[in-house]
Amino acid sequence: MIGERRWQHLALGFAFVAGLVWLFPYVWMLLTSFKTPQELVKAPTALPGALRATAYLEVFRALPVGRYLLLTTVMALAIALLQIAIALPAAYALGKLEFRLRGAAFAFLLSALLIPAELRFVPTFTLFSALGLVNTLPALVLPFAVSAFGTFLLRQALLQVPSSLLEAARLDGASELYIVYRLLPPILAPALAAFFLISFVHHWNDYFWPLVMTVDDSVRTLPLGVALLREQGSGVRWHIVMAGNVLLSLPALALFALGQKHLLRGLGRNVG
Amino acid sequence: MAEAGGVADAVAGGETFAASSASSRERHAGAAAQTRPKPRVRQRFCSLANDTESGPAIALAMQRRALLRSAAALCGTALGCSAREAPAGRVSVPFWFTYGGRNRATLETLVARFNQAQTDVWVRAIFQGDYYEGLAKLRTALAAGAAPPLSHVVGEVVPYLAAAGVLEPLDEYPGARSLPLHPALGQAGSFIGGAERPLVIVPFNRSTPIAYVNQQHYDGPAPASWSELQGVARALTRAGRFGFGCPIDWWYWAALVGQAGGEIVEPDGNVSLGGAAGVAALELWQRMVGAGTMKQPPGRDYNAWEQLSQDFLAGRVSMIWSSTAFVRYLEETADFPVRALPLPHGQRGAVPTGGTHFVVLKSAARELKQAAWRFVRYLTGADAAAFWSRETGYLPVTTDAARALEAVGFYAQHPNYRVALDQLEVARPWPWSKGLFRVQRELVQPRLEAALLEQLDAARVLSDARQLAREAAL
Amino acid sequence: MLAALCVFFVYPALSALHTSFYDWDLLTPPRFVGFDNYRAIFGSGELLASLGTTLLISAVVVAGSSLLGLALALAVHRPGRLAAAARSAVFSAYVVSWVSVGLLFLWIFDADAGIVNRALGGLGLAPVKWLTSTRVAPFTVALIVIWKVTGYAMVVFLSGLAALPPEVQEAAALDGAGPLSRLRHVTLPLLRPTAAFVGTTSLIASFQLFDVVRLLTQGGPVRSTTVLVYAIYEQLFRDLRVGRASALVVVFFVSLASLTWLKRRLFREEEPA
Repeated sequence: MIGERRWQHLALGFAFVAGLVWLFPYVWMLLTSFKTPQELVKAPTALPGALRATAYLEVFRALPVGRYLLLTTVMALAIALLQIAIALPAAYALGKLEFRLRGAAFAFLLSALLIPAELRFVPTFTLFSALGLVNTLPALVLPFAVSAFGTFLLRQALLQVPSSLLEAARLDGASELYIVYRLLPPILAPALAAFFLISFVHHWNDYFWPLVMTVDDSVRTLPLGVALLREQGSGVRWHIVMAGNVLLSLPALALFALGQKHLLRGLGRNVG
Repeated sequence: MAEAGGVADAVAGGETFAASSASSRERHAGAAAQTRPKPRVRQRFCSLANDTESGPAIALAMQRRALLRSAAALCGTALGCSAREAPAGRVSVPFWFTYGGRNRATLETLVARFNQAQTDVWVRAIFQGDYYEGLAKLRTALAAGAAPPLSHVVGEVVPYLAAAGVLEPLDEYPGARSLPLHPALGQAGSFIGGAERPLVIVPFNRSTPIAYVNQQHYDGPAPASWSELQGVARALTRAGRFGFGCPIDWWYWAALVGQAGGEIVEPDGNVSLGGAAGVAALELWQRMVGAGTMKQPPGRDYNAWEQLSQDFLAGRVSMIWSSTAFVRYLEETADFPVRALPLPHGQRGAVPTGGTHFVVLKSAARELKQAAWRFVRYLTGADAAAFWSRETGYLPVTTDAARALEAVGFYAQHPNYRVALDQLEVARPWPWSKGLFRVQRELVQPRLEAALLEQLDAARVLSDARQLAREAAL
Repeated sequence: MLAALCVFFVYPALSALHTSFYDWDLLTPPRFVGFDNYRAIFGSGELLASLGTTLLISAVVVAGSSLLGLALALAVHRPGRLAAAARSAVFSAYVVSWVSVGLLFLWIFDADAGIVNRALGGLGLAPVKWLTSTRVAPFTVALIVIWKVTGYAMVVFLSGLAALPPEVQEAAALDGAGPLSRLRHVTLPLLRPTAAFVGTTSLIASFQLFDVVRLLTQGGPVRSTTVLVYAIYEQLFRDLRVGRASALVVVFFVSLASLTWLKRRLFREEEPA
């Protein structure tokens, strides 16, 4: 029988190894970004000779990093906020209001979850191209306006809010709109925070939808831009690709570092 | 999916995430306002970048790039303004291109030169990935009504695009009929019956397949026949080194089919895939790979070509087939002397032409199309065409350019660049068949890959493809 | 909200069904072809192949990430900085984009200069064709996906563990059960609903894989990593066959719906509706 202490050691050892395994690729990515092309060819597995920024400068020369960054952030922000704005009343309706078709609406929402973006893109693409909206920011934002996941999350959080609170507000003369957009947000703050973070990061990182919805670089997002660093022709310049990759990963990692608590909590709470 | 459990803390309201709990609706309104004036966004930020005051956009950008000292200077470049916005008063022509690496840099140089040489047009070159990615984007853009006025496409897809009616006929454009193009490279020479059709393409980066050999490994004559090829490959193979390498790609297969006396598409339109010649071509590869004398590079499409170049440069393959487009790159990067050789003859000498042609898209505004044409004329001028050819290795598309290069002794100093030019004598035109591109991408290319990797029966594989072509009425 | 839902969810679904009966390349007018598209995708074996590949990769990913996630959750479900650091490290992979992960592992698994093969070479082993062998490539893809998504499974299991009433564990310990036995007989059975949840969501997610395939193998070599979504993308963007792409979409939706329904039925007593 494995004793308690042995178990502890085993667990910690495993955790340590796991930590290394998960961290190593990032470290490697960072190290590669400092190398010169010669180092890459001659000694790809050695440490870089010096901490050079040449690869990064090249990335900035090749891509309008600032513009992509800005655009991606604006897009993700717009999506996350739009989702919250729409999910709040929806969750409220499904959680707190009584109306006849509530069950049906709920089931409808559930089934909508099953249709991921990848399935929707063909018809959405043709719809948008008929409207002349392909390759514009609305094409990147609008299709995600409704988030079934968000609606569920908020609904669950709402169920915990005592109805008496809402009754009291109504008695005080508050309109439904006021309740939804003024009263509830502070109460639901942690759930909202978790949802915002999850959605923002997810859409910031999105590759597929911008790939199919944009055709040139006027509304190109950062993931797309960095992916294009893999130019064919004269040898893939890994140090530049990795430098671009570092730049791409940093915002998500930074946001994660800042919002870790909320993210883990919000996600973890979703299980029975 | 999200069945949440107890949320007691939410009500207790420990932490508040200030940003989102503050009226999310105001934020939303703000963001929505930002999304609406989309076309003006770029101009707005550009003028911010030119300010020396820190606008919010610059502050944001600077925060994120704390590493770099010269953030302010880089902001201008990073926001992509200075290089990309057209100065006022010029017609801005977006040009979608798909060259990477060194060739991309050369193109960008030419674009800059053009932009500086005159004051009416500003060409904005936009990188779109590799040929196939770029083509996919072009086609979807056409479907969505968002296509640029100018781009370039591989020869095989031209008949399809022409049949779909998306290409601007160029016959009436100034100078179109009198461009001194090399006979094998213009529309007339590149396609069977090309001269009878309305002019829709102008060649720019054109190539033929050639062989490169590591002169330290082999300094003999070019293998003149298939059996000589196999012999040389065998002689050069040793432990850790392959004698020969070739991407398993439609283009090289087409070359072999031609050399074996076949046609991919018969004059009557029947997609025969070379018949017995097609099978012989595929079997040649299978034999050589099976004998261990040929390396089949892994990877898809241009990844394979890339990989093969790297193998060649590292000395792992002595002789490779690749495009003349890599002459400059290989010569400069190798630490051994590189020699270019023509491909062998089979029953006859035959090479396909490759590379791409300029196309002007009909859907663009007239002003843009005419401006785009000016750029095309510039690039086919003797200077630019010669520059392009010598910097990359692509063929000089006009006879003027070729003569200019000859005159300055370029070919005397760089005999490798001549190989493809001389080989044009045996260049074979493509059939003008609107299904050609589908045949290439959907039917043949995947099957070539499969036949080699899984050692399938070549005759079977090709007859399957033929069958499918028939069914699809290609 | 219902309106938005309709426009962006219902309309596309119905439209896909509609276009699946046409042959359309977006540039020329559509041509009605009845069930030809379906016949083509089933007949060419291409659909079954993509479905098979998707199922294979999904199975490996779900099994791998769930097991690993569980093991990790058990290991890091304790106070202390090491545990916290490990938690963050593992979960961070979930947060970065697929592009990041894809490009990174493309380099790491590079057949020639990638660190894995070089390390193998250093140990005297033969290099492995991670991304260029039809047999190995799907597993490499699955491995990379596992690296990225295990964090999610871990976090869910962690919260599941946190929700377990400690009295049961204590009672078992008092009864003399060692850690291993406690694990087997107490913890794991109590985690069944969590496991079901992780399983379902991972399955749905892995059916939607696209980015990693696009970046690493473009569906190859020889379609061995062409998952369903990638097949749809190819049909649409490479071949411009909107009808066939729509037919694939319809099939995809039906498969996903059936799988989910199946799973729900099997675990019906576990999931709170």
